[in-house]
Amino acid sequence: MANTNEAGRLKQETAIEKIIRRPEIGSFVVMLVIIVALAIASEGKSFNALGLKNNVAIIAQYGIIATGAAVLMIAGEFDLSIGSMIGFAGMAMSMMLKWGLPFGMGEATPVTAFAVTLAMTLALGWLIGTVVVRSGLSSFIVTLAFLFLLRGVTEVSFRLINKSTQISGLPDYKEESWFANLLGGDVFGWFYDLWFMLGGNLNRRGEQWVEGFDARFLWWLVIAGIAYFVLSRTQIGNWIYATGDNKEAARANGVPVNRVKIGLFMFTAFCATMFAACQVFDTNTSDAAKGNLMELFAIAIAVVGGTLMTGGFGSVIGVVFGAITVGLVANAVFFIPAIDGAWFRVFLGGILLAAVFANERIRKRITGGI
Amino acid sequence: MADPYLRVEGLVKRFGPFTALGGVDLEVFPGEVHCLLGDNGAGKSTLIKTLAGVHEPTDGKIYIEGKPVEFRSPRDASDAGIGTVYQDLAINQLLSVTRNFFMGRELKGPLGTLRMDEMNMIAHDEMLKIGIDFSDPTQAVGTMSGGQRQTLAIARAIYFGAKVLILDEPTSALGQKQQMGVLKTIKKVRARGDIAIIFITHNEIHSRLVGDRFTFLALGQTIGAGTNAEIGDEEMRRLMSGGAEMGDLEQELAAI
Ligand SMILES: Nc1ncnc2c1ncn2[C@@H]1O[C@H](COP(=O)(O)OP(=O)(O)O)[C@@H](O)[C@H]1O
Ligand SMILES: [Mg+2]
Repeated sequence: MANTNEAGRLKQETAIEKIIRRPEIGSFVVMLVIIVALAIASEGKSFNALGLKNNVAIIAQYGIIATGAAVLMIAGEFDLSIGSMIGFAGMAMSMMLKWGLPFGMGEATPVTAFAVTLAMTLALGWLIGTVVVRSGLSSFIVTLAFLFLLRGVTEVSFRLINKSTQISGLPDYKEESWFANLLGGDVFGWFYDLWFMLGGNLNRRGEQWVEGFDARFLWWLVIAGIAYFVLSRTQIGNWIYATGDNKEAARANGVPVNRVKIGLFMFTAFCATMFAACQVFDTNTSDAAKGNLMELFAIAIAVVGGTLMTGGFGSVIGVVFGAITVGLVANAVFFIPAIDGAWFRVFLGGILLAAVFANERIRKRITGGI
Repeated sequence: MADPYLRVEGLVKRFGPFTALGGVDLEVFPGEVHCLLGDNGAGKSTLIKTLAGVHEPTDGKIYIEGKPVEFRSPRDASDAGIGTVYQDLAINQLLSVTRNFFMGRELKGPLGTLRMDEMNMIAHDEMLKIGIDFSDPTQAVGTMSGGQRQTLAIARAIYFGAKVLILDEPTSALGQKQQMGVLKTIKKVRARGDIAIIFITHNEIHSRLVGDRFTFLALGQTIGAGTNAEIGDEEMRRLMSGGAEMGDLEQELAAI
């Protein structure tokens, strides 16, 4: 039977070949190299108690939005409005905290300010997604429009209501509100307690130095964990991959392609809102320029993490490695004062280019070179 | 003679001012291969897309087991037992065989998680039944040959309850050997006896090899129909070329 032999033409892969074929392998190797290089160049400072906390803080920020960008990219779309959405969400939340809820609904609490903001950003995500799927226009151009729109609205609202594009000196809600503490407080204190008990984590006076990680670390783990689970283990995950790989094929098999896309634009809006909320409740400030360029970092990290620009392929674990790599390098200047901070961008440009080529090779290998 | 599983009467499909189908009739019977033949642009793909619920007919009737039906979506059609294997196969190259097999109809456990092991096993077994022993269904479809992809799409349609299997030019993009593989698959499905197959092709030889019944389309019209025995080679060639007499064509060519 001729067809039975067809199967024999497919080479069986060894375990090692399977590992090498995984999308996250490239970003994993780069991450290891960066961790080692940074530890050596900073003489360990980047991974002492405070260094670790600060590095994890920026890594988690990147990680939160890159997860959103990557999952959306897997479904075949881009969102350039992430950065402006961060600015918008931060503005909305802090202005409600300072000036009260809209439509005379009274004083805002951290919970209500967050909830009303999230309702607005999710609605915006829905709107962006709907415009993209209904118009059939490239999401690149639609979300570019929202990049300008949202940033403009943020600044105008700030000036109209607040007379200034910054808010500082909000009360420290963390003290009173468990909710604000959940977003802006410390987490995993046991880790630093343990470190202290084991004789490390000491300040100059010999007391415990660092109390815990920023709460955004926890949120990043939660968001990445859920995204990983949904993508690899659920029906919706299968639909996300299918939508990005071959939209028409997915549709012909009954996958609600448009709903998948709209839902993911709402997910990136959610990630941007979490980014902003952690920032607002951590620092009790906001600024119309917050989140600037973050959409591009998010996309760059997604690509460095092995996500295909053309959709249909990518992994949350790769994006975790990508966020660690990019976050560490972004922060490196603080631990190695001798280097010029601009090298960060040179590095990011370099690995981005390398990643695009590597991803293309992986895609070809998977599809047998088609 | 058994009743047709699917019957189409006076089907009309217009795209704006353009009449893609101008009143087409068709009957397909379980256990038979019905070849749909005709030149490029004759309306074959439009006909089967209408049957598959992708287009709504402008006019005309579709009957399943004698009862009139209306399809508003591909899901309606597939629920009514119409399984379509498109020219482009509706396959996602980067996804695994199993994920493609179950796309849109995934088996879910509690919490909406995928029952991956079970799905892998079913995908493997179903493909084996119609001729491919595909040992690792977790590999990407991109690594499969064109013939294997056809088999995947066919196995998928049958597993999900297709009573009418529509194959849109399944052999046109394949090499000789793989074409024969697909014809064998068609024969295997036919041998089950419970599935009606609509086989769209350009290829006279292929239709002779597996076809029980033929319908010829030209410019959106049915220009001829009959069983394999009824239609002779001359007639076949005449109808394949859109109804023009071979003699006329020869004259036209000679005049250039
Ligand atoms: N969605 C559509 N809109 C407008 N015209 C179409 C559409 N689909 C098909 N047609 C036209 O209908 C005619 C029949 O096409 P098709 O059914 O694809 O033919 P075949 O499959 O027999 O080659 C062609 O002239 C084609 O251009
Ligand atoms: Mg066609």
